[in-house]
Amino acid sequence: MVFTLSVNGDRLTSHADPVTPLVDVLREEFHLTGAKPVCREGFCGACMVLVGGKPVPSCLMPVALAEDCEIHTVEGLAGGGALNPIQQALESCDAVQCGMCFPGMVVTLTHLLTTTSGATRDDIRAALTGNICRCTGYERIVEATVLALAAS
Amino acid sequence: MTAGSHVQEDRTGSIYVAPSLPAALDALADYGTAGAPFAGGTWIMRAPIRHEPLRPHYVAIGKIPELSAIRIGKDAIEFGAAVTHAALAAALSRLPEFGVLATAAGSSANPAIRAMATIGGNLSALDFYAADCLPALLCLDAAVEIASQGECERMSLIDFLKRRSTLSPGRLLTRIIVPRTERRTAHARLPLRKSGDYPVAIVSLSVNVDAASRVQAVRIAVGSVEQAPRRWGRLEAALLGGVLDPPRIADIAAELAGEFTGRDSVEAPAWYRVSVLPTLVRRAAATALGN
Repeated sequence: MVFTLSVNGDRLTSHADPVTPLVDVLREEFHLTGAKPVCREGFCGACMVLVGGKPVPSCLMPVALAEDCEIHTVEGLAGGGALNPIQQALESCDAVQCGMCFPGMVVTLTHLLTTTSGATRDDIRAALTGNICRCTGYERIVEATVLALAAS
Repeated sequence: MTAGSHVQEDRTGSIYVAPSLPAALDALADYGTAGAPFAGGTWIMRAPIRHEPLRPHYVAIGKIPELSAIRIGKDAIEFGAAVTHAALAAALSRLPEFGVLATAAGSSANPAIRAMATIGGNLSALDFYAADCLPALLCLDAAVEIASQGECERMSLIDFLKRRSTLSPGRLLTRIIVPRTERRTAHARLPLRKSGDYPVAIVSLSVNVDAASRVQAVRIAVGSVEQAPRRWGRLEAALLGGVLDPPRIADIAAELAGEFTGRDSVEAPAWYRVSVLPTLVRRAAATALGN
């Protein structure tokens, strides 16, 4: 089958099997390798992308059901070559460590910043429940998010 | 090869996006044992991880309007099987008598999973032993509707749990019905981390007490300890007429907990799942009294 997907504003074509996880299509057919297939269970958040504006673990979404959706990966979040507010804050706070979880962190926190402008530290931690940082760098990530919220 | 890309090798088949309930039932009947419903997909998509084969055909039910509807009536709430955990938690947030279900739906897994995973999937995934909504719905005396071509059957959730492994192909869980009554409820769960993973054990409680806090009616359901959730009938009987005093009922629960045979898994040994039940009973009672 042929599936036409809208990814970061581009119309892209996939020939994958219908049940193929979206993360595999993004990485192996479209060469968008920001989303990482790590746990493949929806628990780690490393494959998080925005589907219809909401964070979705792309390991659990079959490509066939992504066809009518607007998909944004981490590669599409820095508009015009400029970092978005959470990306800028994470860099300013030196929050990036090994980088494995960060595309998913950025996707989840981009959604939080655009939907919950008054988020508290507890809200931030709750939003990140499904994003696991193996370097355990959570405090700097939360601090960066607080700064980004204050600046928005 | 990227990490884990081998799991694609077994993937074949089709996904039919059903536009209506009759179309979904027709497709499921046509596919027979080769087909299955696909709702949120959070269990099915992990089949390769469990070394289970995918079905040749899936019928996606997420775009069928009545399966995603929530109706809050005077005597009951009714919701479609494709309602997500997040949607149900939001809909019940202002209904205290459904606190147990709102907590179950709103605290399972993580936010992204809750926005995908459906209540029907939670009830239908036979091998998923840690479903939060099952004990919550058991303690609320829920019923379900099962549809097939030209037929619709209503049964208690207890009967559904007994029959779900033997339901013939082509049948689809379509709706959950929960009666509305005055009651205090609570959902106590123990995940290994504070949140974001499966609970080791779950206690769901629905109770009516008089002015002196004596128990007039009570339903207690236990989940995640054994392979299937179930009501804790002996504890319910022991609590009737007595004061709902959390430490006291925890002691009673400790005396009766031996009737459970815990399940072993990589997350927790069987004995541990059983041993935390009295504490969860105490927490549930304290929460219910505070509501």
